[in-house]
Amino acid sequence: MSASDPKGNFKPQDAPRYDDVLQCMRCGFCLPTCPTYALTGRERSSPRGRVALARAVAEEKLEFTEAVKEEAFFCLDCRACTTACPSGVRAGEVMEICRSQAHAFYPLGKAGKAFREFILRKMLPSPELMETSMLPTRLYQRLGIQWLVRHSKVLKLAPEWMAKAEGMLPDLEKPLRTQLPEVVPARGEKRGRVAFFLGCVMTLMYPGVSRQTVRVLAHQGFDVVTPAQAKCCGAPHLSEGDRETARSLARFNIDLFLSHDVDAIVTDCAGCGAALKEYEEILEEIEDHDRLALFRSKIRDISEFLAEKGLRTEGMRQVKTTVTYHEPCHLCHAQGISSQPREILRRIPGVELREMSESSWCCGSAATWGLKYSEESRQVLERKLGNARQTGAEILVTANPGCQLQLAWGVRETGQKQEVLHLMELLGRAIPD
Amino acid sequence: MISKAAIAHLQEKLGEKNVYHEKEDLLVLGYDSTPGVHHLPEVVVYPTSTDEVIAAMEIARREGLAVTPRGSGTGLSGGSVPVKGGMVLCLTRMNRIVEVDEENLTATAEAGVVTLDLFNAVAAKGLFYPPDPGSQKISTLGGNVAENAGGLRGLKYGVTRDYVMALKGVLADLSVVSTGGKSVKDVAGYGFKDLLVGSEGTLGIVTEITVKLIPPPQAKRTILAYFGDVRTAGEAVSRIIAAKIIPSTMEIMDRATINCVEDYVKIGLPRHMAALLLIEVDGHPAPVAEEAEAVRRVLEQVGAAEIHVAENAGEAASLAAARRTALSALARVSPTTLLEDATVPRSRLAETFAEIERLADKYRLKVGTFGHAGDGNLHPTVLCDERNEDEMKRAHDFYFELYDQVLAWGGTVSGEHGIGMAKKEYLARQIGEGGVRVMKRIKRSFDPDGIFNPGKIFDEGDSSTRPHVEEGFRVSE
Ligand SMILES: Cc1cc2nc3c(=O)[nH]c(=O)nc-3n(C[C@H](O)[C@H](O)[C@H](O)COP(=O)(O)OP(=O)(O)OC[C@H]3O[C@@H](n4cnc5c(N)ncnc54)[C@H](O)[C@@H]3O)c2cc1C
Ligand code: SF4
Ligand code: SF4
Repeated sequence: MSASDPKGNFKPQDAPRYDDVLQCMRCGFCLPTCPTYALTGRERSSPRGRVALARAVAEEKLEFTEAVKEEAFFCLDCRACTTACPSGVRAGEVMEICRSQAHAFYPLGKAGKAFREFILRKMLPSPELMETSMLPTRLYQRLGIQWLVRHSKVLKLAPEWMAKAEGMLPDLEKPLRTQLPEVVPARGEKRGRVAFFLGCVMTLMYPGVSRQTVRVLAHQGFDVVTPAQAKCCGAPHLSEGDRETARSLARFNIDLFLSHDVDAIVTDCAGCGAALKEYEEILEEIEDHDRLALFRSKIRDISEFLAEKGLRTEGMRQVKTTVTYHEPCHLCHAQGISSQPREILRRIPGVELREMSESSWCCGSAATWGLKYSEESRQVLERKLGNARQTGAEILVTANPGCQLQLAWGVRETGQKQEVLHLMELLGRAIPD
Repeated sequence: MISKAAIAHLQEKLGEKNVYHEKEDLLVLGYDSTPGVHHLPEVVVYPTSTDEVIAAMEIARREGLAVTPRGSGTGLSGGSVPVKGGMVLCLTRMNRIVEVDEENLTATAEAGVVTLDLFNAVAAKGLFYPPDPGSQKISTLGGNVAENAGGLRGLKYGVTRDYVMALKGVLADLSVVSTGGKSVKDVAGYGFKDLLVGSEGTLGIVTEITVKLIPPPQAKRTILAYFGDVRTAGEAVSRIIAAKIIPSTMEIMDRATINCVEDYVKIGLPRHMAALLLIEVDGHPAPVAEEAEAVRRVLEQVGAAEIHVAENAGEAASLAAARRTALSALARVSPTTLLEDATVPRSRLAETFAEIERLADKYRLKVGTFGHAGDGNLHPTVLCDERNEDEMKRAHDFYFELYDQVLAWGGTVSGEHGIGMAKKEYLARQIGEGGVRVMKRIKRSFDPDGIFNPGKIFDEGDSSTRPHVEEGFRVSE
């Protein structure tokens, strides 16, 4: 522990860097963009307040109390505050780190530990296990949701979470991973070769979306390699505060993807993209910096990649429709990708983009947050749906499976007449067979 | 120290969720945007009506608690820091816009309404509320009134005081005052309203504000000028004013500020330039075109390195938004950003810049300067590290010497951020001991027991009101 980076009352392992919390000058610019502050009007549930709490712990003015833990998990990790902060403070990330502190300070009971072992350490790191557990029954039964039922008290899930979790699941098809060829060749004039990072949620819950992503990439002139051994990106682990497993998954994926000779590593899941781009940071102290930088330089969200390469629209079909776009937090705030998806939307023949207000306001899904704080999540969702409704657009487009689950569930529940699609599904409709 | 019974009583009157007394809440309600000052309150209340303000005050009086009003805590002189503990009374949940009166061109709002929200609400009705502090997207009207906040448009449109028509508030004896009204003129008795504006929460709690609105300008032109050295930029400002042109905005950023802001906004600001001026002229279309042309001529004459005109409203808005982030963006560079609020007659701008440069050199400090150049109001900001004692001492000496010169030129130690706890020693230098005595008497006549925001504006020789206090948690069981 160095004098310039005191950990104070934090555990030394995975503590927020003191300089990072000191960086906050408390200007409050982040307050109006924070969904949990908007909900509660409570300073400690705002980015400025959360950073101040972390600072107080580092300065030994406060123990790592239950309330600090509570704030770490109540934070949506939506990163809207990162976008809003002119000083470069990243309150969401500080809270993410505090989640792992929370586990160190408040070891999970037996049930909680078993949950961690089961889902985070056993299921998610192994694509095969997840698939077999899913088939033939629906995912949630084997993925431990029944088990969760028994332990929902321990995990402090909100009372209505079960009905919600069940209602949110889309109709499941066969996982995409087992069906996708290792290489899908480019169509038309070839522009390069990319690796596709197929995320867990995508392969299991939205195989149809990622199938379109691969089709789009091929149609745009890229050979698409999809390494079937790829493991979970580690986002759920970071979000639940299991940084150790996240690091080992990261190292595995880096080795795997750097063994392929590709121009870029593309993903269609904003959550995965954000996590992959964070590998550099979480492995900073244990991996070779050049390798990390090389890996980082190749990661692209699909919309970022297509906008960079220029979308080839010759021969595309007309998709006559009106759309509005919801920005996933992990795309716009975590990765700063905001104009690119719109650029793609505008270039799809026949599509009219109608901007909603507050397009970059969180939809309230945020990994398991939506299950833990279901009432708060409903309020955040209602705000989002209202803004989407006002545009009168036929289709509500987004670019992340978490948002898609939440929004699709929301429109179903409220009877809102809007189809919810991933950007790649819409683009896929324009691409001739 | 507050008793459990008092907390229970507050909860009963205000509702449980409007009363905080847990350590984690208190810790984050004892700071504002001023570096190095922090003090824990014993309880924080969020009244939702004037009646609840009175109820909370009544309990505070009975318990002998000091009361520190608070808006969004963006103050830059430590105004809402509860140096004596006690009760923080936060107005952010009194945030209703009561009325926009299109016949009398006024708006009435509760003190906790966010400045930008009022601006947008009246803009939707084709009206204009000009005061726009850099913090407008989160600062409250109550905080603006209490600090008499200025903004980017101050040059032509004035500051908050120029728009306040009426105030409603609660005084120390729990009486409700209502001062001013919608009439354009009012000379009945002493100007209470004007005393309350800029009183930094030391005379009473403002609960409702009626402001004057004006029709928005029909046309606007935004000009960006770059300079090879800061003094020339200062000279340009003086010359534009001397040419009898009053732009609505004339903001300056020096090289350090330009670079920090560009790191955040990424809109292609000129990183290699020593300074830039953001100038806006507005009004009727014909005079606007003439004024813009006249500004350009002056800029050419003084030798601006480059002159650009914003293409459209979107570009102009993003430039103004970029300027608003200046202070927070400067905070990127170093852990601590100490900022001052020196204001000089506008003819002295070029010299002031020269003085800032000289002193920064002398005290070996990294300084970024930006500000409302058109108002002669500069924010020389020392980028430092509060852990480095020697550097903090040099920063203090830097400001001390700078203010000597500023005062000698007939300037002021605070153009808009107020005295609070951070600038008490400077105030006495500016207005003299006699001036401070009169101010104290005014304070006493409003608040004989000194319960409102103690330790602000003037020193009461009490050790607990020193400018840099850091104290642990204290609340009785
Ligand atoms: C990035 C940044 C940019 C800024 N730019 C400007 C600028 O351009 N111009 C400018 O003038 N200021 C500026 N400020 C300073 C600050 O935003 C203003 O002083 C603002 O008016 C404070 O409002 P607040 O709601 O945050 O009040 P607070 O900081 O909470 O309180 C300020 C003072 O007002 C008192 N107070 C608050 N509400 C009430 C009430 N209802 N009744 C009585 N007293 C009350 C408090 O006790 C305290 O003394 C800036 C600050 C930041 C962080
Ligand atoms: S996190 Fe950033 S935006 Fe928020 S208060 Fe701190 S410096 Fe300001
Ligand atoms: S990440 Fe989102 S919820 Fe968390 S502090 Fe930032 S804005 Fe608030």
